[in-house]
Amino acid sequence: MIEPFFLVAALLLIFMVCGIIRIVFGPTIPDRVVGLDTINTLVVAAMIILGAAYNEVIYIDVAIVYALLSFIGTLYIAKYLEGGM
Amino acid sequence: MIEEIIQIVVLSIIVIAGIMAISFKDLLAAVISFTAASLLLSLEFYILQAPDVAIAEAGIGAALTTAIFILAIKGTVRREES
Repeated sequence: MIEPFFLVAALLLIFMVCGIIRIVFGPTIPDRVVGLDTINTLVVAAMIILGAAYNEVIYIDVAIVYALLSFIGTLYIAKYLEGGM
Repeated sequence: MIEEIIQIVVLSIIVIAGIMAISFKDLLAAVISFTAASLLLSLEFYILQAPDVAIAEAGIGAALTTAIFILAIKGTVRREES
C-alpha cells in the first residue's frame, strides 16, 4: 500500500528534476534564476506534503521559514542582474 | 519503499547541482547552482526528520550564503578567466 502523500511528493520531485535541467542547460542567467525560483516553490510544497505524510504539525514551520528565506535569495540575484544594489 | 526512491532522487539532484557548481565558468551561474544544491540538502535533512537542522541550513545556505556571494561577485569580476 503506497501512501498517497508520498506519491504526491515523488511527483513534485519529478518537477524539481525539470527545474534542475533548466539550471544545467539554460543558455542565459535569467533562465537559471527562474529555474531556481521554481525549485524553491516546489521544495516548500514538498515540505508541507511531507509534513502531512509524517503526521507532524511542527514540520510546517520549516516550510514557513523556508518560504520567507528563499525569497530573499532570489531578490538578491534579481537586484544584481538589474545593476543596482 | 517510496521513501527510499524519494531520497535517491533528491541525493542525485544534489550531486548534479554540485558538479554544475564547480564546472560553470560564469560565477553567477555557479552561485545559482550552489543555492539549488543547498536548497535540496535542506529538503534531504527534512526527509531524514531533522527539522531544526533543515531550518538552519535554509537560513544559512539559501539566504545568507547567496547574498554574501553576490556581494563578493559585485566587488570583483564575474567571469572566470580560463
